[in-house]
Amino acid sequence: ERPQVVAHAQQALSYTLFDCKWVPRSARLLCLGSAARGTGVLQLYELRGGRLALLREIEKPKPIKCGTFGATSLQQRYLATGDFDGNLNIWNLEAPETPVYSVKGHKEIINSIDGVGGLGIGEGAPEIVTGSRDGTVKVWDPRQKDIPVANMEPAEGESKRDCWTVAFGNAYNQEERVVCAGYDNGDIKLFDLKTMSLRWETSIKNGVCSVEFDRKDVNMNKLVATSLEGKFHVFDMRTQHPTKGFASVSEKAQKSTIWQVRHLPQNRDIFMTSGGAGSLHLWKYEYPAQRSRKDSAGAEMGVAGSVSLLQNVTLSTQPISSLDWSPDKKGLCVCGAFDQTVRVLIVTKLNKV
Amino acid sequence: MPVWLQEYSWRQTGSAVYLSLPLRGLRVSPANIFCTDQYLKVSVPPFLFEAFLYAPIDDTNSTAKIGNEIIFFTLYKKEVAIWDSLTLANANKEKLQHLRQDAVLKAHKKAKEETETKKIKKQEHKKYALEATIKLEEAERTRIEDLKEKERQKVTKELELWKKQHEAAEKQNKTQKELHQEVQPLNEKKKEKTNKSRIPNEGTSKTKLKHTKGHGSYSMFSENLNEEQLPAPRSAATIKINFTSRVFPTPLRESRVAEEEEWLHKQAEARRTVSADLSELEDLKEEEKNPDWLKDKGNKMFATGNYLAAVNAYNLAIRLNNKLPLLYLNRAACHLKLRNLHKAIEDSSKALELLTPPVPDNNSARVKAYVRRGTAFCELELYSEGLQDYEAALKIDPKNEAIEKDAEKIRHLIQGTNQDS
Repeated sequence: ERPQVVAHAQQALSYTLFDCKWVPRSARLLCLGSAARGTGVLQLYELRGGRLALLREIEKPKPIKCGTFGATSLQQRYLATGDFDGNLNIWNLEAPETPVYSVKGHKEIINSIDGVGGLGIGEGAPEIVTGSRDGTVKVWDPRQKDIPVANMEPAEGESKRDCWTVAFGNAYNQEERVVCAGYDNGDIKLFDLKTMSLRWETSIKNGVCSVEFDRKDVNMNKLVATSLEGKFHVFDMRTQHPTKGFASVSEKAQKSTIWQVRHLPQNRDIFMTSGGAGSLHLWKYEYPAQRSRKDSAGAEMGVAGSVSLLQNVTLSTQPISSLDWSPDKKGLCVCGAFDQTVRVLIVTKLNKV
Repeated sequence: MPVWLQEYSWRQTGSAVYLSLPLRGLRVSPANIFCTDQYLKVSVPPFLFEAFLYAPIDDTNSTAKIGNEIIFFTLYKKEVAIWDSLTLANANKEKLQHLRQDAVLKAHKKAKEETETKKIKKQEHKKYALEATIKLEEAERTRIEDLKEKERQKVTKELELWKKQHEAAEKQNKTQKELHQEVQPLNEKKKEKTNKSRIPNEGTSKTKLKHTKGHGSYSMFSENLNEEQLPAPRSAATIKINFTSRVFPTPLRESRVAEEEEWLHKQAEARRTVSADLSELEDLKEEEKNPDWLKDKGNKMFATGNYLAAVNAYNLAIRLNNKLPLLYLNRAACHLKLRNLHKAIEDSSKALELLTPPVPDNNSARVKAYVRRGTAFCELELYSEGLQDYEAALKIDPKNEAIEKDAEKIRHLIQGTNQDS
């Protein structure tokens, strides 16, 4: 029997929803977006019975594009958000009037944000990475004001490309960390923060909408990059060939853009992609018999496995732009679509996959 | 004339008539037999057997058996009676003809009725089949819906359970926290001891906290430890990156790549015509390579009356950029002055071609082109073409009196020549 995607609850909103996230260790979720009058909206909902009950609504001067809980401790649960103006703010949801940390990090909208080192996951300092339309990717430490700890920017004279997505990975001890960034011209770049250098780059044939490592806190294992035109690529990150880089397998899921990919926190080989036609696809990655082999020159080369579709469901006619699995309950996820609805779904039978 | 078969034998019972018709060497198929309720015919050209039955029979149930050399008819009578003879007695030709026609008509009607009933039956069958499929699909759908509903309910219950457990755990956490805050100073010492023992473990085991009940104290301790273990913020650094080049500011899409290539190709071509004769132009000054500057030069020379020089200037300008209509227009004016009428016509035509989207902005330029071409035609005594051009100019600019006057003149000229010839 295949996993089923069951629609559990949904809520119609009166603003454009850009991001939705579960509040860790709770049955509450956060919706971030932009109201019609051009201000930012944060709403906190609680799952009660089959409905979402609004607990709190906070309005901010600028529309909010993305948010993460990745860099805070479990006690504090501060939310880091990036807004349309390029500001990075960290909020204490109990006292949201003034941010705990604030910096105008970028000249243009922050498209994507990720956090690592918090929530008791992984090791090392908590850090936040933001990727913006101004072509730069910056890494911030909440203890250091105003100046990013790492800045990946275009070289002199280089015309900029929009950075659409960022993700942390390889944070298995206190020093190691990588940031992966995807751009609108199909570039994927991997930055190593320990050596402060570009570790790998490649280019796929479509703009990259979303990248995610299967787990942030282990030796980097797999990276999924989704793009326009319905394609996504799974890279095997364990073996890096000196010239060919990482092995990958790619799949065309549908005709429309794949907006997001999210791995199931409880099983890193299962991930869900959300599409521009309002559909969700649940995939499973199968490893090949041998993950690496030697090429003709004797260098180690990775071998990519295969991806199989477990289930797909169409929930909306508008793109589903954000997706988040609950880290506490296996199979519980929330997705937000551009039809101004947030939906809570439960994916069943994930144990038997 | 058909050959009549008249050797037949028959016998009857109260309700049926048995007729046997011998055929010598003839092959008969069911199509050769024609029967209505009072007329029976077997026709195998050129042989013909015909019988106008004494009384009506039931032709649907009657049968004909075609055997070796013989046809055996079993005709069931409509009314139980004993017939005097097989066929009708009075053999009036007209009547027979009439009967034949009747028979044919009857057969037609019967055939029509049969097709009607068949159609109706077919429709009913189709409807029935459709309804049956609908029912089946409906059943399938409800079955799936039920399954889904059950799944949903099960999952909702599980979720509620989980939530309750979770809330209970949180409450416990809170109370434990409060307790610990009171007991804090005592535990400081304990912490230091555990600190030392925990450091070696930090690297190997993952401090991933599982959701457990009543372990609030555990988590708080590890949190404090983590804070002390946190490395200092990284020293700020910048990484410079390069992007795979892309001309367009839009994101890269596979499906658009072909279009984009074409566009770039066309742009490159347009720029190429400009740089065609670079070798010859190397000894010219910078400004002399600019088509606009050359056009101005040409205009100045035209104004001073130096038409040949003006033509030269325009020629060079056209070599640099052959898509500017004004160059051709002005060169046409020069040619007119120089009485190079054919060249004037060519240049005006080219100018008009380049001015193809006929928009109000182009008006003045087009009027000039038409007028110049018209003048050239008239000088060549091609008055009708000239008049056409003048009228085109008038259409664009009806209020221009000079053009109106010239057009009138040309009309008179044409009428004059017509009268002469």
